[in-house]
Amino acid sequence: MMQSQQPYTGQIFQPTQAYTPVTSQPLYGNSFEDEPPLLEELGINFDHIWQKTLTVLHPLKVADGSIMNETDLAGPMVFCLAFGATLLLAGKIQFGYVYGISAIGCLGMFCLLNLMSMTGVSFGCVASVLGYCLLPMILLSSFAVIFSLQGMIGIILTAGIIGWCSFSASKIFISALAMEGQQLLVAYPCALLYGVFALISVF
Amino acid sequence: MADPHQLFDDTSSAQNRGYGAQRAPGSLGYPAASTLPQAAFLADPMSNMAMAYGSSLAAQGKELVDKNIDRFIPVTKLKYYFAVDTLYVGKKLGLLFFPYLHQDWEVQYQQDTPVAPRFDVNAPDLYIPAMAFITYVLVAGLALGTQDRFSPDLLGLQASSALAWLTLEVLAILLSLYLVTVNTDLTTIDLVAFLGYKYVGMIGGILMGLLFGKIGYYVVLGWCCVSIFVFMIRTLRLKILAEAAAEGVPVRGARNQLRMYLTMAVAATQPLLMYWLTFHLVR
Repeated sequence: MMQSQQPYTGQIFQPTQAYTPVTSQPLYGNSFEDEPPLLEELGINFDHIWQKTLTVLHPLKVADGSIMNETDLAGPMVFCLAFGATLLLAGKIQFGYVYGISAIGCLGMFCLLNLMSMTGVSFGCVASVLGYCLLPMILLSSFAVIFSLQGMIGIILTAGIIGWCSFSASKIFISALAMEGQQLLVAYPCALLYGVFALISVF
Repeated sequence: MADPHQLFDDTSSAQNRGYGAQRAPGSLGYPAASTLPQAAFLADPMSNMAMAYGSSLAAQGKELVDKNIDRFIPVTKLKYYFAVDTLYVGKKLGLLFFPYLHQDWEVQYQQDTPVAPRFDVNAPDLYIPAMAFITYVLVAGLALGTQDRFSPDLLGLQASSALAWLTLEVLAILLSLYLVTVNTDLTTIDLVAFLGYKYVGMIGGILMGLLFGKIGYYVVLGWCCVSIFVFMIRTLRLKILAEAAAEGVPVRGARNQLRMYLTMAVAATQPLLMYWLTFHLVR
């Protein structure tokens, strides 16, 4: 049992050179330059974010099905926070409602799209698309800071923005999941979800 | 030979023997304190292990859910009910509001399985009932909001009470179908779909009530109640009654009469429930 023991070659009570000494190199030395850029490591690709934002903002532009291949939750997070911030500017501290409704809405859309489409869809993709299409809603809530939305103009504006959001969301979903003849069917639940957000902004 | 069950290195024959501070190669030693402060956090083997464990746990959980979801929720069967398109939904909504001119209520079959709702307007689907249910809850919230009686937990209350009534209905009808010993191909999901169609009329009634007051509410609700009654009778007749009776020839016989009464009872509860679930929302 003890014959083939390897002799101990370490050094007790003597510090081993496990690292290059700090003093012989600048503080942010080689290891910093060898690392990939921070944004690439985090997976945030500004070009793609810009592409997706443009797709949302031009409701009549045909969407490319492949842009949803990487699920990117950084953009939607920013948009949600911006929405909450504009609500805050109007005096409504309702971050909890925004998060709660977006979570339930994303879950509902995820179940519905999985049941309705031939190919499945991942939760991250659904959350990402719904988050991007929240952008026009931020416009609405920033209007609400200045004018009150409870008149006739407010109702028309709200209806228009809800339509814009749900149209873009359904357009992206249709092209990403190759569902034909179902655009209005996908747009309706999106309209319900964005309608609840609009309710928060208006009332 | 080293004992394979040893938990630690036996260093009793080592040259420079020490007691205590034995440095285990790498894992649980003191590497964190001695490496560069700006060496990546993830090089710390401890957090490496934690991350690997966490991500494998998540992957296992996902696999478990995927394998077992079919036992609780029949996903493939449900997919049939959601295979709809815009044209079907439009035609079905038209049927729900005006079923009087439609002639052929028979569901088409294709080699023993019913055809998907996309291709046959008579087939039941779950898209319309599900959307109608959610819209009903939101419209109820809107109605309460215009009367200043709104609070978010009321939405939950409305949703759960409507769901409870639906469950009760489904169970009652299943029980009566069992008691009458009817051999139908009416599955539970089919029944849920048919019973969910009344929410469309309810939404119409509430919206008219919001726009035009009680008169509008009663007019539209009355119209929708009659339409749903006719719709249910014509649809369920084909499912519950015997073949001969379904073709319009009245067949005398105690069994068929019982089935006819059952169909009428089911169809009659629809308007009652439509009124019960909406009248408190319109003032």
